[in-house]
Amino acid sequence: MEPIRQRSLSRRQLFGLGAGAAATAALSSCATPGAVSVNSLDVIPAIAEGETVTLTYWSWLKDLQNVADVWNAQNPRIQVEAVWIQGGNSGGYQKMYSALAAGGGPDIGQVELRQVPEFLLQNGLVDLSRYGAEEYADRYDAGLWSQVQFNDGVFGIPQDSGPMAFYYQTEPLEQIGATPPATWDEWAALSAEVRTLGPDTYLDTFPVADASVFTAYATQAGAVWFDTEGDEWIIDMTDDATVMVAEFFDRAIDEDIVNTSFGAYSPPWYAAASDGKILAVTSASWGDALVQSVSGGEGKWRVAPMQTWGDTGFGSTYLGGSTAAVLANSPHPKEALDFIVWMTTSPEGIDAMIANSGIGWSPATDYIGELRQQPSEFFSGQNYNEEVFVPMAQQQNLDWVWSPLTQYTLNALGDGFRKKLTSGQTLVDTLSIVQRDVAAAFRNKGLTVRVAGQ
Amino acid sequence: MTTTLRPPSDATPNPNPASDPAVDIAPAKHRGNTVGVGSSRTSTIIVTGILVVVAIYFLVPIYYVVIAATKTTEDLFATNGFLLAPTFNLWENLRLVFTYDGGIFVRWFMNSVLYAGVGALLATYFAAAGGYALAKYEFRGKNIVYGTVLGGVLVPGTATALPLFLLFSQMGISNTYWSVLIPSLVSPFGLFLCRIYAQASVDNSVIESGRIDGAGELRIFHTLGLRAMTPALVTVFLFQLVGIWNNFFLPLIMLADSKLYPITLGLNNWRSQVDRLPEFYQLTTGGVLVSIIPLIVAMIVLQRYWRGGLTDGAVKG
Amino acid sequence: MQRAPWILLAPFLALFILTFILPILSAVATSFTSVQRQGLFGEDGITNSFAGFDNYAQALSDSSFTASIGRVLLFGIVQVPVMIVLCTVLALLLESASARWPQFFRAAYFMPYGVPGVIATILWGFLYIPGLSPVLDIAGAMGLDIDFLGPDTVLWSIANIVTWTYTGYNMLIIIAQLKSIPGEIYEAARVDGAGSWKIAWSIQLPLIRPALILATVFSIIGTLQLFSEPLVLQTSSPAIDSQYTPNLSAYTNAFAFNNYGIASAQAVIIALAAFVLSFAFLAIVNRTSRADKEGA
Repeated sequence: MEPIRQRSLSRRQLFGLGAGAAATAALSSCATPGAVSVNSLDVIPAIAEGETVTLTYWSWLKDLQNVADVWNAQNPRIQVEAVWIQGGNSGGYQKMYSALAAGGGPDIGQVELRQVPEFLLQNGLVDLSRYGAEEYADRYDAGLWSQVQFNDGVFGIPQDSGPMAFYYQTEPLEQIGATPPATWDEWAALSAEVRTLGPDTYLDTFPVADASVFTAYATQAGAVWFDTEGDEWIIDMTDDATVMVAEFFDRAIDEDIVNTSFGAYSPPWYAAASDGKILAVTSASWGDALVQSVSGGEGKWRVAPMQTWGDTGFGSTYLGGSTAAVLANSPHPKEALDFIVWMTTSPEGIDAMIANSGIGWSPATDYIGELRQQPSEFFSGQNYNEEVFVPMAQQQNLDWVWSPLTQYTLNALGDGFRKKLTSGQTLVDTLSIVQRDVAAAFRNKGLTVRVAGQ
Repeated sequence: MTTTLRPPSDATPNPNPASDPAVDIAPAKHRGNTVGVGSSRTSTIIVTGILVVVAIYFLVPIYYVVIAATKTTEDLFATNGFLLAPTFNLWENLRLVFTYDGGIFVRWFMNSVLYAGVGALLATYFAAAGGYALAKYEFRGKNIVYGTVLGGVLVPGTATALPLFLLFSQMGISNTYWSVLIPSLVSPFGLFLCRIYAQASVDNSVIESGRIDGAGELRIFHTLGLRAMTPALVTVFLFQLVGIWNNFFLPLIMLADSKLYPITLGLNNWRSQVDRLPEFYQLTTGGVLVSIIPLIVAMIVLQRYWRGGLTDGAVKG
Repeated sequence: MQRAPWILLAPFLALFILTFILPILSAVATSFTSVQRQGLFGEDGITNSFAGFDNYAQALSDSSFTASIGRVLLFGIVQVPVMIVLCTVLALLLESASARWPQFFRAAYFMPYGVPGVIATILWGFLYIPGLSPVLDIAGAMGLDIDFLGPDTVLWSIANIVTWTYTGYNMLIIIAQLKSIPGEIYEAARVDGAGSWKIAWSIQLPLIRPALILATVFSIIGTLQLFSEPLVLQTSSPAIDSQYTPNLSAYTNAFAFNNYGIASAQAVIIALAAFVLSFAFLAIVNRTSRADKEGA
């Protein structure tokens, strides 16, 4: 039984170790990654004549290398290598943050519009206005451009966006004599009618876990959750518009007229959609490629303008949307910017992005992409991009501002919304709880913040 | 003490009880034959029936993935998961697995072999040297060292992984082979087991006669010590090997470059793409199948060492 | 003479200090700091300062984090006994004379141990996802409406994966213990007229009992570290939030929110919880084995 004795001995020593550790801890200090801003250092000059560089671009776009190859063929001195990473929230950002903390990372990273301020908090992005980005401003959609500007700097170049609309299966709706809903109230009425078709049949889903959809709906209703005043952030997540949207979906879930057990484009969603148990999806322009993956859906789907909140709010809203941002440790920001501008505004860049990567809506003001000017066989021969999404892209809530705690806010909302299913906590209740937690999270980050009206 | 049968930074629970020498009471003596008074035909049928049902439970997921790997993504959703689809797509799926992204799958596999093989080998050697030193020498600080290492056994690997990442970042070695390999080289449990085994099985008189022959201390360890400790070394090596191979949390935190991924991280990378790109189902099912075949073979072959090594090491303590 | 042990220990100790001692010290240090930022994003300066127990207070007042600890404890309290009973029964059955083809079964049960947790979760995930899972198809055809990924069930679906992976392993350990019981004991029992049940109950179980206690306590500690299973299932189950387990919470805080202070505090709390449980276990083992000795 000797080991037992050894272990009792070790127990005493362990306590000793613990005390020692606590004492050492008080003495040692440690550095927070990203404490020094790259934008306070000197501008990095462009490469000299005759030099060549290879830029890396971390992105979750499909086949992005094919796009880069178009550029590479024309620009032997600036070669771009695309590296696939997991989609932002699901691991891509974690990877970029940890690479930044380690003093490395790619030259260019795909950073969603909503995530740009969060990267600023880590000093993770190069201010591209120092490399002449502003001279290209007029080539981009003004609403998108305003979302990459902070403190007089430009911290990313819009790469795509996601104006929302209503995708639906024509046949089942015709059978019950319905047309696409013009307002959310009509959507609710139609959803209720669809429920009579079968025990598992729903019109649409409401993803409790992914709060970005709820956020998009609130934005459409006119909400502006974050604003700044000097160096102070102001949070307002319980305004009339947001509460109205939360009450609407509380009711929809209570009445079981919307499917909450899976989100759009998940495996069970595909199964249900091809089985006629999900008849429609309110989704962004980039959803077209995903809807086309519904097996047997050819010629059976159409796209209609997004349903509105009646008298208030806007015609549509953005769901998703990304920038190509130059990350802080890039040794070649100028060359990276040149590539990004080509990729996002030149017709061949845009067309290559659409053909290979199926990007969302082009941020360029004057070109939506050649493939998108044609009728689609899958969508019943409809020329849905010009017909639906061009006007949708122009009916946006331009006052919306993302905050440096987007990820926290969306996670907290998603975690709270899940409780609607588990403990019955309403979406409305979640709003005020999350607003309080988000304010605390701002303070944790050492930022100045107040809740509107307090 | 057995939580550390896996390397420091693994995240899944490891409920191994019995390798702890402290609790092993019975002396090592094989009974040779099994128990059983009046094992009738009925009880054979009942017992075997139960065992078959349980075996089905353990084998169903494997069977499922074998079938799934033969299907196209479309058939995966459209046909019954337990039955073959009309289109037999296995070879095409395997071709995809091995050729996708310039054969990255093979690279992931080789990375795992590297991490687990080199990691387990060196970890075993270091643990053996340390355990032998603690068992066979009297020196100041011995008990403090042993106690501290035992404390390390109790620290969950995931608790050290986060600060280790920040530390490695500052040292500039995160996102390198080293960032996964270095933490895999330490096995406090291995040292613990080696110490106990060395105490029991390395004879002091043998060491003395070595000294009389004029051999140096290190030479004595490398020749006499290691040889006597071989059964314990096999056990430590196997545990460390499986632990590193199965590790997920540490490489997830440390590695950004997919070329450095072990197979676990790589396959999860493919799986996480299926929502946007359903064709990745074929890669994931095919990749899972290919990756578990060598593991299953290894488990069946190594089964016997698990039994042998553990009880030997435990009992002699 | 006194140099030799230190030379032998040196590689291990150097690595141990680098990968255990330093990270633990730095985690403890980080857990006592907080950050202040000037400007909207800290562009006008970032400073670190001593925060006392603020990070700990916050971690422990975060209901999601405390809920995650409660969740894994519940998981451990249910899953561990189930697994222990299962592996004990399997070991006894395989060691009984009534079992046919024991080697085949032993290999089949042990095999999942070689499947990494992530891959096991991907595998079982296929069997959980509606539309993919033939199990759900069969259940549906029999009129059963099962949801493996719902808010009330997904924890047990994870428990199933863990059970699947480790039962065979634990069974193997117990078999090894059973095989070390000397044959004379069985013969003596048979002479006394004991049947299979009697032998299992009064000879085999008491002798493997200490091992079972250890397995139980260790599994509960191991459960505190649950990470990869919920991470992988997260995308298919809306019920798994970003703080579903303590480890997932620390990971989210560190790498999604870049909040290293709170993440470190959580890591320290997880380590302390493991310590407390470990010491409780040491006390139990000390007492039981002493009692065994005295009883024998």
